[in-house]
Amino acid sequence: MTISTHTLVYTRVHTATHLTEVILGAIGDILADLGIAYSDFTRGWEQNENAIQAWITEGSLDQVVLECHQPSGTVDPVIEFPVAYTTTGAGDAEFTASRARLARFRAKLDRVPAGTTYRLFCTFAGRPHTPQPGWSPGTRASTDGLRGITFGTLGRAPHASAGMRYLHS
Amino acid sequence: MLRSRTIAAAPVRSASVTWQVITDLVADTVAASAALARSDAEQAMEVAAPIGRMLIAGGHLDRCPLTLVAGLVHCEIGTVSGTAALSAEENLSPIPGAASATTFTIHLPAPDPFAVVVAEVAAGHPRLSDVLPLAPEARSAAGTGSLVDMNALRKEVAGR
Repeated sequence: MTISTHTLVYTRVHTATHLTEVILGAIGDILADLGIAYSDFTRGWEQNENAIQAWITEGSLDQVVLECHQPSGTVDPVIEFPVAYTTTGAGDAEFTASRARLARFRAKLDRVPAGTTYRLFCTFAGRPHTPQPGWSPGTRASTDGLRGITFGTLGRAPHASAGMRYLHS
Repeated sequence: MLRSRTIAAAPVRSASVTWQVITDLVADTVAASAALARSDAEQAMEVAAPIGRMLIAGGHLDRCPLTLVAGLVHCEIGTVSGTAALSAEENLSPIPGAASATTFTIHLPAPDPFAVVVAEVAAGHPRLSDVLPLAPEARSAAGTGSLVDMNALRKEVAGR
């Protein structure tokens, strides 16, 4: 019998792994809730997982952005997942996720028309970052005219936390 | 007998790595049967991987485990995420009871909002199901795992 126990030692990689899964899990839930086809999202899962984890580990990632592109050309809603880093890396050894609150929030999301697609962006706020496979420069759609609702903290870890902001018309 | 196994997910492992650990556990268990092929289990888990990773990342597998049914094996396999994952105790050894199995099914959970997608994925491989498995007691009563037909025995005793 192979029984293993993980010890209570945590690093920046643990923080990055935790926040990456919290963000990607939330995006998956939202795409499924909105009825947006996400086969590309699942197909590129490992690539996205590796990239976001690497960028959080090196502290370069500013936010992950999910844009919903409606057939009319309108980009609505836009969901931002900002990452905030703690300078000390100290704090409680707590890895939390607000999943129950997210489920309640998802129930209030505006519906989108059939045929709506999505685009995923990562922004860096000018910080240098290591290139990652499958990711190339892009331009975000304007969010002018969209109203923002701040969800607050989505996930928290010793070295960083991830929030969520919902922008819609 | 209903068994359960818990696998540490984030922050210990990414969703992709966690799914691979679950895949190995399922495949190792199924491989104990001379009548079943490890590769069959691996193929089924590969088909389910896209939705499996999302269920792990979203924390759904923390609450709604998948279930492996193979011979005498009836095992719920779930995950633990967050702080608790750091101190989780794992048993990654093959689940005992599959040696006599002639078939197996991996029952995938279908939590909201993934019910439709899980059903589509389950339809993609004959070893996958999106239907909750019968409890072990019910399977025994149905004659799939018990050496004694309890219903027939009760009727016989009642008739005396």
